Amino acid sequence: MIETKQLKKVFKSADIETVALAGIDLKVEEGEFVSVMGPSGCGKTTLLNLLGMIDVATSGDYFFMGKDVCSLREKQRTHLRKENIGFVFQNFNLIEELSIWENIELPLIYQGVKKSERKRLIMDVIDRLEITHRKDLLPVQLSGGQQQRVAVARAIITRPHLLLADEPTGNLDSMHGEEVMNILDELNKAGMTIVMVTHSHHDASYSRRIVHLFDGQIINENLNRI
Amino acid sequence: MWGSFFRMGFRVLMRQKKFFLLNLAGLTIGIVAFVFIYLYVENALYYDRSWKNYQHIYRVNETYSTGGKAEKMALTPYLLAGKLKDNFPGIIESTRLFFTDPSDKNDVSSVDYGGKMYDIPNLTIGDTRVFKIFNYHFTEGNPDSCLVHPNSMVLSLAMKKTIFGNKPALGKKLKTSIRTYTVTGVFDKTNRPSHLEFDAIISTNSLDKHEQQQLYTNWFWMNCYTYVELADSVNVKKFVQRVNYFADTAIGHYIQKQKIKISGYAHLNFQPIQKIHFSKGLLYDSHSNINITYLYIFVTVALFILLMASINYINFATARSLKRVRETGVRKVMGAFQKQLMLQYISEALIITFTAFILSLSLVELLMPAFNSLVNRHITLVDSLFSGSGLVFGFLLIMFMLLLALFSGSFPAFVLSSLKPVEVLGGRGLILRSNKKHVFTTVRLRKFLVVVQYLVAIGVIISTLIIAAQVHYVKNRPLGFDKKDVVVINSPADTSFRSRAANFIMALKTDTNIEQVTTASSLPGYLTEKILVRSGDSAVGHLQTLDGFFVGYHYFDLLKIPLVKGKYFSAVKPNDSVEPFIVNEAAIRFLGLKHPLGSFLYTPYAKKGRIIGVVKNFNFSSLHQKVEPLIFVLRPQFIQYVVVRINPHKKKEALAHIRNVWKKYNKGYTMYYTFLDQKLDTLYRSDQKMLSLFFYFSLFVILISALGLFGLSSFLIEQRSKEISIRKVLGGSEKQIVLMLVKEYLVLVLIAGALISPVVYYFIGKWLNSFAYHIHLNLCYFVAGILLVLLIAFFTVLLQALFMVRKRPVDALKYE
Ligand SMILES: Nc1ncnc2c1ncn2[C@@H]1O[C@H](COP(=O)(O)OP(=O)(O)O)[C@@H](O)[C@H]1O
Ligand SMILES: [Mg+2]
Repeated sequence: MIETKQLKKVFKSADIETVALAGIDLKVEEGEFVSVMGPSGCGKTTLLNLLGMIDVATSGDYFFMGKDVCSLREKQRTHLRKENIGFVFQNFNLIEELSIWENIELPLIYQGVKKSERKRLIMDVIDRLEITHRKDLLPVQLSGGQQQRVAVARAIITRPHLLLADEPTGNLDSMHGEEVMNILDELNKAGMTIVMVTHSHHDASYSRRIVHLFDGQIINENLNRI
Repeated sequence: MWGSFFRMGFRVLMRQKKFFLLNLAGLTIGIVAFVFIYLYVENALYYDRSWKNYQHIYRVNETYSTGGKAEKMALTPYLLAGKLKDNFPGIIESTRLFFTDPSDKNDVSSVDYGGKMYDIPNLTIGDTRVFKIFNYHFTEGNPDSCLVHPNSMVLSLAMKKTIFGNKPALGKKLKTSIRTYTVTGVFDKTNRPSHLEFDAIISTNSLDKHEQQQLYTNWFWMNCYTYVELADSVNVKKFVQRVNYFADTAIGHYIQKQKIKISGYAHLNFQPIQKIHFSKGLLYDSHSNINITYLYIFVTVALFILLMASINYINFATARSLKRVRETGVRKVMGAFQKQLMLQYISEALIITFTAFILSLSLVELLMPAFNSLVNRHITLVDSLFSGSGLVFGFLLIMFMLLLALFSGSFPAFVLSSLKPVEVLGGRGLILRSNKKHVFTTVRLRKFLVVVQYLVAIGVIISTLIIAAQVHYVKNRPLGFDKKDVVVINSPADTSFRSRAANFIMALKTDTNIEQVTTASSLPGYLTEKILVRSGDSAVGHLQTLDGFFVGYHYFDLLKIPLVKGKYFSAVKPNDSVEPFIVNEAAIRFLGLKHPLGSFLYTPYAKKGRIIGVVKNFNFSSLHQKVEPLIFVLRPQFIQYVVVRINPHKKKEALAHIRNVWKKYNKGYTMYYTFLDQKLDTLYRSDQKMLSLFFYFSLFVILISALGLFGLSSFLIEQRSKEISIRKVLGGSEKQIVLMLVKEYLVLVLIAGALISPVVYYFIGKWLNSFAYHIHLNLCYFVAGILLVLLIAFFTVLLQALFMVRKRPVDALKYE
């Protein structure tokens, strides 16, 4: 599903050049659950952003479901992302002015899904994630764990093929973190491909494969024994 | 301590150039507009208040009626001033000035000095008493004696400078084609805004003997403005009653002596001189008069502009300060006291307000000439700001700037410094949560303020559109005759022209580009005569006043005025015993004639006459008025104007021909002429002026509100950069997101439009009603106005939204 070849990302500011990714070769198969680990600042988020097409690489190749992402235009990339990729962030990134329901509904609206269909899909998801009774609240009125569940719900509402999660449990206590990991595990078992950035070995243990990053390079890949 | 705050303030502002410039521009534009309007209003209110005894000076106006509707006019008979002075000790001084129509030029309007012709735009006739009441400063000559001798001319300083430069003018000879005048004085009009507009006065005894004789006896020849200065002790109300009793008696005697059969009444009114500038509804009143409601409108607009500029200013300042939550937190942790924080903000605000202050005064000074020509005044900033009331205004303006700085500086300091530093510096969630309420309320407040701005902007723009439509309408409405391609030539003032006139006209007609020629002493758009008429063929019935036109043959076919019944003058044979009259339809209704053709009419112009024709009503005065009853009297020998219809496709050639013929028959006389349609346009000069003022108001208001919206939306959209990124990540397209951002502001504009439209409808409706003929208000103007503002708002916000949306979402999603 994902294949990158010598993917590089360099940030240039006024006088410094930061090499965030120094040539990544990564392959992720359909249905895999991959964890990305490494110290702070090693380029994990940058990698995820590139995979999620919300940023573009400085050089290298990136093939997503057989398409050469680097050669696509902004609009086509947006389209590809909209159809196939869901995001979960460490800080949830819910829109604070919108209710839980409206937050989850947003990707569907952008996909042009009809209202009745939207309702059915949302009901389905919030039921599964047990947030039905909170659907009319605003994000600030929820705990961190609940907010992250909403974020997950929003990420999967469009049934993406790929879910990208950047430290999804980073701002949560261990009990709430566990809940979120269980949901991700279930989603993976149902067939969703997941790439997750984490600092926690425990969380990483849910995945099938762990990629270790250091200074923008992959230094080690190992398969989790189950 | 202040010094270091200011230094720091400068550095902060220099780092935030966009903010600084937006704020400076908004405030400057606001102050410029405000100061201009202030200067105009102050000048208007100061009209005729510079005379030494102005509280006791009155102009005598007259209301009279001879059946039908009462006429009010600013003119009175010449003899009135003298009679009043002789009979009422309460009158300290009295004088009169002749009415002259400055737009109707003749040979006396230009003088020859040293072989060069100079135009005197506004010339009148008066005597030495003029300067007893109107105490102009004389730079040359003696005000007490300058108008004693015949053929004396007194010039305004500006006029003198045009003719003589810096050389003295006293004793110099100025020649007109009729006489030679001697300059006997030069008066200075500087700083004396007044309804008196003359540039020169010639002495009354320069008029010919016969005319002077008439002046001293005729109570019905209204040709002068009469001014009186009353003693302090006089009770004006009672005094006016006594004056009227006296005048009634005198007029009664005059009527008896002259054996005139007339009934009706005349009433003299005393109008305080400082109110003349705002008076309306009087015939022959000063051209410079303004409608006081315009002043109210200007003041309201000025205050709104200032309010808008202040709102923007505070909006920017507080919006910006929210971005500085963190900075404030750091400062507080480092031990800054609340007072010091406040001083920091206030010194920044002071820098902006005072830069704006100085900048705007410089701009006002720079734009002053343009402004003066726009409003037709001679205002100078220095004179206005450093004289009595100007000083107060300057002081108030400075106080206002100080207050603005204090308020806008202390507001954010106050709000921000009341936050606890831990909250400000704490985790991200904390900042958002502790600010949530605050951000929410100020966003709402700001949106409210934007609506207020757009109320004003839309109101002014819709008004401008409607005024423009109405002005266009009055200039283009069919008037019932053909005003196009008609040249009106003022005939020379010398009486010998009459003998040359026939040949002159014959010569004019020889060119093929001349289609028709006639003579007249009255034309549409010009002042009309008032003619007393009695209908019926018996001696019973009373005289009634009608507007009267003295015209030559072919007058009607030249102007293409259609006939309803009967014949034109050119179709009847001259008959010495019965005079032919033509009337309009309104006159028939007014006189109540069932069978007008052949009806007899009597006029004091002696002979009895009968109606030979009825013409269709046409608008012979401004469209402010309905078509009044009008009577045409055939007087080919009264040649005030030679009227020529020319070939519309060969205007140049036709005019060249006219000029040639003029030169041949009127050597030494300047040819003054105008196109009839242009003359008619001057009837709407004050409406046109109102339009151009509103146009400039619109520009100012649009500029300020666009600046305000630009600043506000840039702040609000920037605040939402994270949300925008999230939406993009979730699959929102650029178009969808931009539309979402822009839509909110457009809704605000629509709300403002809906709120202000009824107000505009009411006030502009009132204005339209001052025209007897006006456009009908329909939704289009309102929709167009709102659409225009909507468009401007759309592009203002679009700029911001596009800028934000084009950014890659990663930047905003970063979390430190
Ligand atoms: N927008 C940016 N501009 C400049 N440098 C950046 C930007 N984003 C990330 N970096 C730099 O790139 C490197 C990798 O960052 P990141 O991918 O966020 O690391 P991680 O998520 O592994 O902590 C860091 O050194 C970071 O400072
Ligand atoms: Mg990271």
